[in-house]
Amino acid sequence: MKILLHNAILFDGVSLFGKETDVAIDGGLIEAIGEADLRGGFDVIHDLSGKILCPGFIDLHCHLRDPGQEWREDLFSGSAAGAAGGFTTLVCMPNTDPPLDSPALVSYVLEKSERSPGSRILPAGCVSRGRKGKVLAEMGKMAKAGAVIFTDDGSPVSDTGLLRLALQYSSWLGVRLMEHPEEKSLTAYAQVNEGICSTLSGLKGWPSSAEASDISRGVSLCRDTGVPIHFTHVSAEDSLRVLREAKASKLPVTFDVTPHHLCLSEENVIEGGYDSVFKVNPPLRSRRDRDALWEAVAEGIVDAIATDHAPWHLDEKDLPFQEASFGIASLECAVAAVLTEWEDRGRPCSLERLLGLFTSGPASILPGEWGGAGAGRIEVGLTADLTVLDPELERIVNVEEWKSKARLTPWNGRRLRGWPVMTMVGGRTVHPVEDIDRGLS
Amino acid sequence: MLKEKAKVMNEQEMERALKRMSHEILEKNRGLRDMILVGIQRRGVYLANRLRDIFIGLESLKVPTGVLDITLYRDDLTLLHDQPVVHSTAIPEDVNARRILLVDDVLYTGRTIRAALDALMDLGRPSWVQLAVLIDRGHRELPIHPDYVGRSVPTSKNEVVEVRVKELDGLDEVVICEREGS
Amino acid sequence: MEWRHRHVLDLDSWDRSELQHILEQTRSMDELLDRPIKKVPALRGKLVVNLFFEPSTRTRVSFELAEKFLSVDVVNWTASGSSTGKGETLRDTAWTLEAMGADAVVVRHGAVGAADYLAKKLRRSVVFNGGDGAHAHPTQALLDLYTAWKSLGDLHGRKLAMIGDVLHSRVARSDIIAFSRMGVKVELSGPPTLMPRAPEALGATFRKDPHDAVRDADIIYLLRIQRERQEEGMFPSLDEYHQFFGADSRLMGSARPDALVMHPGPINRRVEISSEVADGPQSMILGQVRSGVALRMALLFVCLGGVRQ
Repeated sequence: MKILLHNAILFDGVSLFGKETDVAIDGGLIEAIGEADLRGGFDVIHDLSGKILCPGFIDLHCHLRDPGQEWREDLFSGSAAGAAGGFTTLVCMPNTDPPLDSPALVSYVLEKSERSPGSRILPAGCVSRGRKGKVLAEMGKMAKAGAVIFTDDGSPVSDTGLLRLALQYSSWLGVRLMEHPEEKSLTAYAQVNEGICSTLSGLKGWPSSAEASDISRGVSLCRDTGVPIHFTHVSAEDSLRVLREAKASKLPVTFDVTPHHLCLSEENVIEGGYDSVFKVNPPLRSRRDRDALWEAVAEGIVDAIATDHAPWHLDEKDLPFQEASFGIASLECAVAAVLTEWEDRGRPCSLERLLGLFTSGPASILPGEWGGAGAGRIEVGLTADLTVLDPELERIVNVEEWKSKARLTPWNGRRLRGWPVMTMVGGRTVHPVEDIDRGLS
Repeated sequence: MLKEKAKVMNEQEMERALKRMSHEILEKNRGLRDMILVGIQRRGVYLANRLRDIFIGLESLKVPTGVLDITLYRDDLTLLHDQPVVHSTAIPEDVNARRILLVDDVLYTGRTIRAALDALMDLGRPSWVQLAVLIDRGHRELPIHPDYVGRSVPTSKNEVVEVRVKELDGLDEVVICEREGS
Repeated sequence: MEWRHRHVLDLDSWDRSELQHILEQTRSMDELLDRPIKKVPALRGKLVVNLFFEPSTRTRVSFELAEKFLSVDVVNWTASGSSTGKGETLRDTAWTLEAMGADAVVVRHGAVGAADYLAKKLRRSVVFNGGDGAHAHPTQALLDLYTAWKSLGDLHGRKLAMIGDVLHSRVARSDIIAFSRMGVKVELSGPPTLMPRAPEALGATFRKDPHDAVRDADIIYLLRIQRERQEEGMFPSLDEYHQFFGADSRLMGSARPDALVMHPGPINRRVEISSEVADGPQSMILGQVRSGVALRMALLFVCLGGVRQ
């Protein structure tokens, strides 16, 4: 099938092109970029005037709960939700039941991903067997089967010896380690940011140092081994100081931040009357921390925005704050939330830089062989994984309409501006679903 | 909104009415022995004080005077429009075996007096309770009858009788108001 | 006056005039407690459920007395454990109570936000927070405020010294807010491991030396030390606590002789307070208990007595 994306503003992963451009797709690949001859026998022509055509968005961190916790989410619902949220590639976390620590489970995810309706799903494998933090999982076999990241996410690799071993061992696999930075001895029973929120609420405080100290440890091991390490959901200004310094000394350290830490702060917990939608690990931080994350984005030291989409069943989340599960579901509104916040803050960085954090940024953390799909670039010959943004579109978040099984999100009922309006995976339109044959008018 | 419709009493008329009532009270109670004056919060309190002062002038006798708040005894709280406010109850002497003269500004349905009687009974067992009101506007819903009345004023249910006292309102007068737009 | 607060969850949004109104209403109720017959028919026909997930004799009995004096029909519902894992969820319990016709629910729960949660789930009933985790205990704070006001009159410009485990105390949180909103300067002292991270967010300042905190204080408020905090290692020993932070004659020597001593109860003698202070002339501890009944009557009446459709 030949598809023409007509009159779009092109973002190729690095730069925005002011002039409207056409992109032709044939057989799932990008065939041509530039002014097209509209008589060229296209099956479908999408007029994308006023919209931004981007490389498919990549989410390095989401929880799809499959296998074993399908009442919360599964690979199909997660894939559909990802597509609706503008993501063409999702990296699913291995804290499933059983944990994703074997090549068989890696294959299970990839096979199910083949049949899934929306975003492609790439599995992250466990660092340790059973995610128990004791001995290494079969990282080699998992890498060969298609695992794209190693992490014990949900928990850090607390044993420093094991983390060092994992870094050394994974160095020949080309698959990066992602550390969930949390010094557990500082976070037992912790619920909210230590500071104003813990003081006012009486909930146990979760100090910034719990994150920053674990990042310091990881940076130190990175310096020691020379092996790349990625830190996920970095939330605190103290952590940024460590990371900034590590990057300045050219260490192969990367990190991502989440939409909720960019858009929300600990005050939401208080103002929301202890609504459990604001309960997340790491906790929503101070206003100062949130500003610091945006400064880091503007500075260019942040590598990616990753959602940490953590869907729960209503019965596990709709509880008094202290009893509710940690996690924020956001796949279907994350992009719009970030764009809205960026606009509300008076555009603290260029749009290119921001869009890069959804595209070329995360792509650079994935293994090299993902040069095709999930490349975070638009080039002739690459797989047509594409996301179309309408920067002007305003919509109110309605969680009831979500493809995800989650039914609670901090953004429900909020009016957001700048939405992904079309998602294409391998040349196939996966969002909006009804437009597959008709095309956008 | 209330709109003032007619003046029923001015300062002099109010004073005359209270004087007449005090003579009737004296006549009926032979020297005010064992009596306690109890004003119902809020305007009844000031009227009770006026009667006390008149008695001092007439008989050189200071009748113990107290205040009774009946908010917690009302049966019509859900019909009230404002947040009910509890005021204090303070009766200087034990009410047991005493003659109580309840004083209120306006007698209407009788429910306030019913509540006042309940409140009073919870404080003890008076030997006799009498009732003095400045205005009786009719429309009784309970079998309650005043012993002393300043003036009977025929009213419609749509009207409101307002007794104003210097201590709270800056002047002494009684007016009839009408609810507008109802 | 128009009463803004449908529920009583915490005192965060209460302004000074609202606190003052409750103080005055409490005084009227306090008078009632002197009468031979304390029961008034004010809330006849109302059903209040005391829903207690944590054992609490004092708060429950105080609420129950207040309810009975106002002629409320009272049901005590004692539930155990948290709502996660086993048994009925708080939401289902709430709806069950409402289906039974509860006009109000007094809730005591170990989880922060339980009262807020209940208030969001209930469509009709009014929620009184009888203590949620370490978050808030508004009725305790209001009764403390009343006790102080009754003794001292206008509280503006006064000073309160609070000594003890502020970090884990819902009483401290609500009291600091209530007193500081009435214009009282609040100073905290205690082991630094038992202090919240940002006392200034509550409107209080931290003094390392408890003697500095109690100096010139009009009110000395001692918080209960939970033995399990010592077991958790938050401070080395109860004896060490008593030596440095316990209210004994030594600490009271730094305070004004007429300073009021308050404690939410139950007291741990020889931990946060010595017997000579607990039983001494400055102690307001039993007065607080009496104020508690009057205050809860006032709150129940203010929230349930008026028109509310």
